[in-house]
Amino acid sequence: MKNFKINHRESSGLDVLDLHGELDAHTASQLEESLKTLISSNKSNIIVNCSKLEYIASAGLGVFMAYIEDVRSSGGDIKLTNMNERVYNVFDLLGFPTLYDILDDEREAIDRFSNEN
Amino acid sequence: MPADEKELQNRFEIKTVLETSRMLIESRNSDFVLNNLLLIIMGKLLSGKAAILFYNPAKRVYSVEKTKGLKSISEGDSVEIKLEESEKSCSHIFYNDKPEAFPRLADDMKNSVFFPLRTSNQHIGFLFLGSKVTQKMFAAHELEFAESLCIISSVALSNSLLFDELKNTNRKLDRRIHELNTLFDLSKEFNLLTDRDKISNIFKFALLGQLFIRTFFLIYKTPDGISLLTHSGIKKPFTQDDINTLFDLCPLEVKAMDDHCYGEVPALKTNLITNIIGISIQGEKVAVIGVGERVNKETYSETDFNFLKSLANLAIVSLQKTYLLEERIDKERMEEELSIAKSIQRGLLPDPVPEVQGVDLAASTISSREVGGDYFDVAQTPDNNTIFAIGDVTGKGVPAALLMANLQSMLHVLLPVEISLAEATERINDIIFNNTPSDKFITFFWGKYLHNQRIFRYVNAGHNPPLLLRKGGDTLDELSEGGLLLGAMETLSPYEQADIQLESGDMIVCYTDGVNEAMNKQREEFGEERLKSLILQNRNLASEELMETIIREVRQFSNHNLEDDLTLLIIKIR
Repeated sequence: MKNFKINHRESSGLDVLDLHGELDAHTASQLEESLKTLISSNKSNIIVNCSKLEYIASAGLGVFMAYIEDVRSSGGDIKLTNMNERVYNVFDLLGFPTLYDILDDEREAIDRFSNEN
Repeated sequence: MPADEKELQNRFEIKTVLETSRMLIESRNSDFVLNNLLLIIMGKLLSGKAAILFYNPAKRVYSVEKTKGLKSISEGDSVEIKLEESEKSCSHIFYNDKPEAFPRLADDMKNSVFFPLRTSNQHIGFLFLGSKVTQKMFAAHELEFAESLCIISSVALSNSLLFDELKNTNRKLDRRIHELNTLFDLSKEFNLLTDRDKISNIFKFALLGQLFIRTFFLIYKTPDGISLLTHSGIKKPFTQDDINTLFDLCPLEVKAMDDHCYGEVPALKTNLITNIIGISIQGEKVAVIGVGERVNKETYSETDFNFLKSLANLAIVSLQKTYLLEERIDKERMEEELSIAKSIQRGLLPDPVPEVQGVDLAASTISSREVGGDYFDVAQTPDNNTIFAIGDVTGKGVPAALLMANLQSMLHVLLPVEISLAEATERINDIIFNNTPSDKFITFFWGKYLHNQRIFRYVNAGHNPPLLLRKGGDTLDELSEGGLLLGAMETLSPYEQADIQLESGDMIVCYTDGVNEAMNKQREEFGEERLKSLILQNRNLASEELMETIIREVRQFSNHNLEDDLTLLIIKIR
């Protein structure tokens, strides 16, 4: 099994998912499950902290594509933070910065959420 | 202008040119270069209107790259400039000198001037400068100043354009590499998967991520019909009719949506689907994929569609594999069950065929398929006599075998019960009639041999009449007393039973229709006449040998291609 893990925690009343390891075709469904769980319990202000994310494949990005609209239509957002350069390059390459808030630090995401609400 | 003032101005201009050139050359951002170039020249030459036009050699037009103070054109527009190549290498050219060659970029083109932007080997475009705010002509030193700046900027521009192009090419390459990685990853992943939902889910996510789309669906032709396997961002669900129409509508290539498609399936429009793609395996259409607009509004390129097709092919082949795998598992399980059924059925027939005192007995069944509906039995009754039975259930396979097993058990249950053969037949008929569908029948013949009296007492329920050959006789009698076949209707009139007095050397040959209805290549039946003469010719053989002979002849006749079960039961009185 590939090493991929998701940690769920709360920070300043927001839901934070910490991604660890490699998010690829094989592990994408785990992220899907986590997002689905949050959405179904009406938690829509979601921060995805990528500081421990070592690799992301297109399938991983696809999960974000599939759920961003659900989250935004209920008034929330998914904000991505703390990416290493390699991971950011993939997001950038496929055009994600135009659609997602990608921030340097989790703190910024928390501030932005509190300004939005 | 006094000489010292002119000197001062010259110095100032040279300084500006030097500073500007340093700034421009150090910059790798063409937008920054262009903006500064325009602002400096406009400021120095006191014009409120200017633009940069870039030459597009592929289309032979000029694209408006940057404008200042112009209303009639905007950045991104294309314009034509009809100059000879030689004219493009001049230092500057006034609009008034060749008004037919230039586009009207401003309302007042009088006194406006075009400066070529070029390096020693490349024509980059033109800098357009509108007339002075003061309506005066440009002075010679002003034109020289602008020319110098244009020459310096051209080098910087050429560099930064090259740099941009390189960056762009690199990015494209990175994307291709990423696409290849995605394909590679997924082909590995798909190979490991046999779960259809997982395959279609991974396919969906890879596509959404790589193509930067939100709306997507996958329709697949399963063995049970055409169905929607997965989707994303679909707001108005497709009906089954929509899905069928869509599948037929889609060609085996990328199709952009048009009014016809939207007319056929309005849900395509509601869901903002922009393209559908048909995927085939070995020439047969097996799937249709639909995608919506990209989130960044970029149009799909040829490479994007190629990626989509490659990824789809991978996914579809894997999906196909799961169905084939299931089919194989089903088939294997079925075959295993059939072979178990066959061994159970074999167990229901007497094996070995028992020795019966005073009788030379032979009996055998040959199944054309794994399990069949033919039946024979030999059993001892409580009064020490012997029952011989033969039957044939309509149809073949498991249903026939089940009914045959049912008949076998009834016969054995009724064996110790003190009722006549005719009454027992009646009971079996009623039970079978009540318990089986109306299209299931059994033709059945059974007889009880009373050893002491050498009487053969039989009932024939619709079975091919067994043939009786007397020791000295030369004709075969048919044993046909009895009644209707079993299971066709409830017993209305009782079954008849008949007694025959047998003597030593008399012979009864019972058979199922697998014998007389065996066919040769010309579709002729083996028939009763052939059977009868075969029996007459071989009347002196022992039962076992006669049976072998008949089976051999029938097999040869049908070219070893028996279509039905074949059963023989031969009784010869010693």
